[in-house]
Amino acid sequence: MRALAKPFRIDVEAVSSFLPSRALRGWHGILLLALFLASLAIATAHAQSGAAAGPPSPLATLVEWIPFILRGFLLNLGMSFLAMAIATVLGIGLGLLQLSRSRFLSLPAWLVTHLFRNSPWLVILFVVMLLVPFELQLPGGGTFIMSDWLKATFAFSLPVMANVSEIVRGAIVSIPKGQWESAESLAFTHGQTLRWIILPQCVKRAIPPWMNWYALLTMATPMASILGVREAVGNGQAAMEAAGARPELLVPFYLFLLLLFFAYIYPISIWTRMIERKYAVDS
Amino acid sequence: MFDLIAPIFQRLNVETGWNFIIFYDRYEYDRFLTGISISLQLILWSILLSLVIGVLGAWVQTARSRLLRGVVDGYIQLFRNTPPLIQLLFFYFGLGAFTPQVDMGGYYEPLISSFTWAILALGIFGGAFNVEIFRSGIEAVPKATAEAAESLCFSSWQTYAYVTLPLAFRISLPALTNNLVSLAKTTSLAYVISVPEMTYTLNQVWSDNINVPEMMIVLFLFYVVVVSLIAAGLHVLEKRLALPGYGR
Amino acid sequence: MNSIATVMRFPALVAVMGATLLAAAAPAQAEGGRLEEILERGTLRVGVLGAFKPWSFPSPDGSQQGIEVDLAQSVADTLGVKLEPVVVTSANRMQFLQQGKIDAIIGGMYDTAERRQIIGIIEPAYWTSGPTLMAKEGAVASWDDLKGKPVCAKQGANYNKQVQQDYGPRLVAFAGNTEGKAALRAGKCVAWLYDDASIMADLASGEWDGYTMPVSVLFNNPWASAVPIEELDKPWGVFMTGMAYKWQADGKLVELEKKWEVKPSDWIAEQHKRLEWDESYLKGQ
Repeated sequence: MRALAKPFRIDVEAVSSFLPSRALRGWHGILLLALFLASLAIATAHAQSGAAAGPPSPLATLVEWIPFILRGFLLNLGMSFLAMAIATVLGIGLGLLQLSRSRFLSLPAWLVTHLFRNSPWLVILFVVMLLVPFELQLPGGGTFIMSDWLKATFAFSLPVMANVSEIVRGAIVSIPKGQWESAESLAFTHGQTLRWIILPQCVKRAIPPWMNWYALLTMATPMASILGVREAVGNGQAAMEAAGARPELLVPFYLFLLLLFFAYIYPISIWTRMIERKYAVDS
Repeated sequence: MFDLIAPIFQRLNVETGWNFIIFYDRYEYDRFLTGISISLQLILWSILLSLVIGVLGAWVQTARSRLLRGVVDGYIQLFRNTPPLIQLLFFYFGLGAFTPQVDMGGYYEPLISSFTWAILALGIFGGAFNVEIFRSGIEAVPKATAEAAESLCFSSWQTYAYVTLPLAFRISLPALTNNLVSLAKTTSLAYVISVPEMTYTLNQVWSDNINVPEMMIVLFLFYVVVVSLIAAGLHVLEKRLALPGYGR
Repeated sequence: MNSIATVMRFPALVAVMGATLLAAAAPAQAEGGRLEEILERGTLRVGVLGAFKPWSFPSPDGSQQGIEVDLAQSVADTLGVKLEPVVVTSANRMQFLQQGKIDAIIGGMYDTAERRQIIGIIEPAYWTSGPTLMAKEGAVASWDDLKGKPVCAKQGANYNKQVQQDYGPRLVAFAGNTEGKAALRAGKCVAWLYDDASIMADLASGEWDGYTMPVSVLFNNPWASAVPIEELDKPWGVFMTGMAYKWQADGKLVELEKKWEVKPSDWIAEQHKRLEWDESYLKGQ
């Protein structure tokens, strides 16, 4: 199938070509670590040339605050898991709706998908943070408190939901039409064909792009710090403020945050790549 | 233009309470136009930079030197697997402190402004993806083509620039479209280093005038239009460049 | 933000979430009054800012510390309950209070007429400050010097627009104090526009040698603690009023200025003098 690039259309092949196709090696991580240590050394030397006594070195300050930043990182992870779960459930539903034979269902599903796929994450985050009420009244009568991190989680799930919807749609469309026809000749209904024949095949094709979106989602979660959610970057910034907002803290703190995310995302990239290769051989 | 639309939106505000102040208040209108202009420039330059990096990086990856390939490979992995938000902060605050500045008496006009830092950071971020995209395009060009060029005494750069790249570019276009669109959306992150682009500008407008929903609609529309135009433009390019029978 | 009305004006959003957002709830009211509730619960939940040194900022173990945390602690100690500081932002603190998520705000909040409509502002205030500048020595002499120059500011500060329109600087607003001050330090702007109380604290910290506060404040605005508006004249509000009075009269604030190495403020000294009960008549008895 020739990849299409019509406005508002995406093809699954193009998405998966986003994935690293060159073998990833452990030395990338070592390289980053070396860069980190080198810049720490520079920052420390920089600080020491200023005053002999004075405040603790940037490295000592960073070490003191690492547990605090890591606690923030747990929230990043929590947000990424929850948002991915929401995005997957809603996205699969939306993807199936897009393929619905009724225009009343497929058109709105298409609109929602493309609205959220084509808006920046930051804009969606602002919309949800500022316009969704703080407390929701559930139909049953109870109330549900939407704390900031929960709202941010919901906001992050929307663009991923839209992309999962496209992955699902693309994967289903990519199954040869002949399979539908042969299923029909065996007296399968539309739903049965979808459930027992088409979807199981889609899962394999959809897993690598799905994992790729998980990585992108996790890398988006620091945006929540802009709106006061205390995740890793927010905690890092609060720590710098508490430690006197000294400019020589900026390089080691931000570099540490980069390393932290790299240490988590990079193995996922490698894993994604492995799975993609395996399925590429299978099919 | 302003005189034409101002009365309409003024009346809309009075009659319905929909406050599109950027369309009837001169100060906010000018701010809005500046925001559009900065956003478009930011998108344009970071896309161009990312393309240059992509082309050069992919070329280096065809080199024989393991060291060169390794460096580009490391660059790709570092920038693809870390959050662009932290990259921006790191560039602006971390590296910004070490770059030359012009003393203006009490403050320094940095030679690299926050706008330039945003272009650099976003271009380098987007470029990491472009290298991969071009590289897989290059791999799809049959080896025999490059060999034929070599036999015609083309140098390695000539072969790359005149033979391999034009073919690879066509193959890469669909994936490239996706990446450039995603890069255009990512430019809104320049907000965190106070580049007065669209997101930052409208954020200021809505905090000054308490008209969040109205400005959100404008913000959505802006990005949907820009993203559609970029995608449509690249699609036209793809059609015009299509070689009959080539690339499947 | 009046939530449901705002949401209804945003059709795209409603289309997506309409199913879940049935209504924004009115704050649920417990019968027994907040003071009773706090005593029963055994914990006092006070909203404090996350990174506002030295009023409220994290310590490496993740707990909050600072002047406002100490004030909150004094309330908890008086009641004999445990203190639970809840980190709030300037955007969500009033909502948290309205929704009952916190019992009080002691979070660097200006006392304004607008806010008095929504929450119960406790009198007397415990601090006061106004917008001023921090700059390198000799860089700025008056507010008028700002014209056309880059000035770092905090996003969402309510005086930004006034400064922008009256003095014409190129305002560069950052989301966090750390970034704004780092930008000043790196020379990206000529001055940092912020509260004088916070700037004085920075200058006193010894980290800002060579910097000064070159201009006087544009205006002065007291910072008040707050309780839910319906509690203002009930036991909880009256109790907090008593605490706020004691912070001034007993010299608690003067003591905290010393503890956190803040430059002593004239206003606090004056308030202390004014509210300290003159007990001299006891001596004659």
